[in-house]
Amino acid sequence: MARFDTRAKDIRNLPGFGMTAALAVAFLYAPILFLVLYSFNDGRSISRIDGVSLRWYRTVFANEEIAAAALNSVLLAVIAASLATAMATAAAIAMIRLRVKRKASAYAVLNFPLMVPEIVTAIATLIFFSSVGLGLGFTALAIAHTTFCIPFAYLPIAARLSSMDPALEAAAADLYARPWRRFGLITLPLLAPGLISGWLLAFIVSLDDFIISSMLSGPGSTTLPVHIYSMLRLGITPEINAVSSLMVLVSAVVVIASGLIARAQK
Amino acid sequence: MRALAILLITAAPAFAEGDLFIYTWGEYTPPDLVAKFEAEFGVKVHIDAYDSMETMIAKLRAGGAGYDIIVPGDATMLVLIAEAMVEKIDVFAMPNFTHVDDRWRDVYWDPKREYSAPWAWGSTAFAVDTAVVTGDYSSLSVVFDPADDVKGRINMLRDMNDVINMAERYLGIPRCSENPDEMKRVLELLQTQKEWVKSYDSETKEMMVSGEAVVSMSWNGYAMRARDEKPTIAYVYPKEGYTGWMDNLAVAKGAPNLDNAKAFINFAMAPENAAMITNYARYSNGIKGSEAFVEPALAAAPEINPPADAPAPEFIPTCSPAATALIDKVWTKLMN
Repeated sequence: MARFDTRAKDIRNLPGFGMTAALAVAFLYAPILFLVLYSFNDGRSISRIDGVSLRWYRTVFANEEIAAAALNSVLLAVIAASLATAMATAAAIAMIRLRVKRKASAYAVLNFPLMVPEIVTAIATLIFFSSVGLGLGFTALAIAHTTFCIPFAYLPIAARLSSMDPALEAAAADLYARPWRRFGLITLPLLAPGLISGWLLAFIVSLDDFIISSMLSGPGSTTLPVHIYSMLRLGITPEINAVSSLMVLVSAVVVIASGLIARAQK
Repeated sequence: MRALAILLITAAPAFAEGDLFIYTWGEYTPPDLVAKFEAEFGVKVHIDAYDSMETMIAKLRAGGAGYDIIVPGDATMLVLIAEAMVEKIDVFAMPNFTHVDDRWRDVYWDPKREYSAPWAWGSTAFAVDTAVVTGDYSSLSVVFDPADDVKGRINMLRDMNDVINMAERYLGIPRCSENPDEMKRVLELLQTQKEWVKSYDSETKEMMVSGEAVVSMSWNGYAMRARDEKPTIAYVYPKEGYTGWMDNLAVAKGAPNLDNAKAFINFAMAPENAAMITNYARYSNGIKGSEAFVEPALAAAPEINPPADAPAPEFIPTCSPAATALIDKVWTKLMN
């Protein structure tokens, strides 16, 4: 029997919650809504609607520079998310299932990319990569993106792992399953929802990244956010709205998918 | 894992004989120009975009970036030449250099054109809506001493240097002044004008087309797009002068495909090829005889073809630290 009325503690019943939430949502999403709205403009204007058309989307799809940049971005995000998910899984198993010395320090190192200002990471990596002779380009981007994707992949994987009953793995061990077999048959399948949602999160973080990509991209590896920013120089046209809307769409689909998978596992 | 490795390897660009890496602004290189060059020279062109001159310089400075062609602005060219970050390629000796307009040969950032060729140029002045501003609008007094029906309908660019340069021209003060008294007069002028300024906004086209502003500082390219949507808008080359900028083709130090880069620069100076730049980026190109190949509407546009009686654009190198400090101070006080 509850000693307190839990309803009173529910944040939704606090005074002003509805209005604050509505304002916050409006502030965050109204600009994006406008951006999407004007991407369907028939005219060149970004403040006056001259009719509805898909002409800017056709322009975007016919644009080879944008296509090349988009391909770079997706390829990079797939590679970075996959590597980061593999590493984050290993880290999560070590942190949660094994005895790790100085766990707090290890956790801090793991989350380092979240704490360090991105511009600092970007410049440091630029200088470091060129001084060790690795140079700029796709490989440099893949290494850097993997690094900063790890904490994002780690969070859902660790959350899933903590909620898994260690007794299942212990039972497999009792039945003489060797560690790798145990991992493959028990841990991995149970962990799958966490893996997928971690991968998707890492994918989207890599896809959206601008600062590090801008500093590390080399010949032939310009990413989409860098290209969009560069297009601003010749003025904002609805073409930028259209390509940005497409990015919002992809991000939204991925984040919603990640959320649904996370919910399904509960 | 092996599939991944293959993916990584194939994703890295191939550095074959026939490549050319251009590092430039997005949507600045005409696709038809690239296709024609690729077909004529059997070279595969790769285009990468930078988001600012600073990013470009940072990468070149770090070394070994691997780009061939870069497209720096006039002030940036000075820095790149001073720091030996561009190849000396003797553009003046290239066959198509004969097509370069005389006034773009002896330029302050590259007096002999040893390092760079013209790509595109433009200007910063102001635009008026001739439906409202009648009479003579050839002077900066339209902006700084406005008629009553213009007051409160002026837009200024949100650009410290452009605004202050314009005020200095109106007052007859030289650019990059290090004299505090002169800069005080600039501040006073701008503070007086601020009463009548509706906004300091760089989206000048939107301001003019919507009618929120009837006089607006503007880049020439924006003024032309504004006129496309509202024919009463006119770009003004004020008699007191205006600022010009030029983007140039240059070759990054240690370019892996030096010969292809030189071939491209020579190629881009041919009139029929330079015309593609204007048709695509909608800026002037600096090559004589290209007008014949430019779309008629663009070839006749006053925004990118200054009339004969317009003063020459003024190019302004980066100011000294002392002058920059004063400019910062004026701008900060004005914006407060």
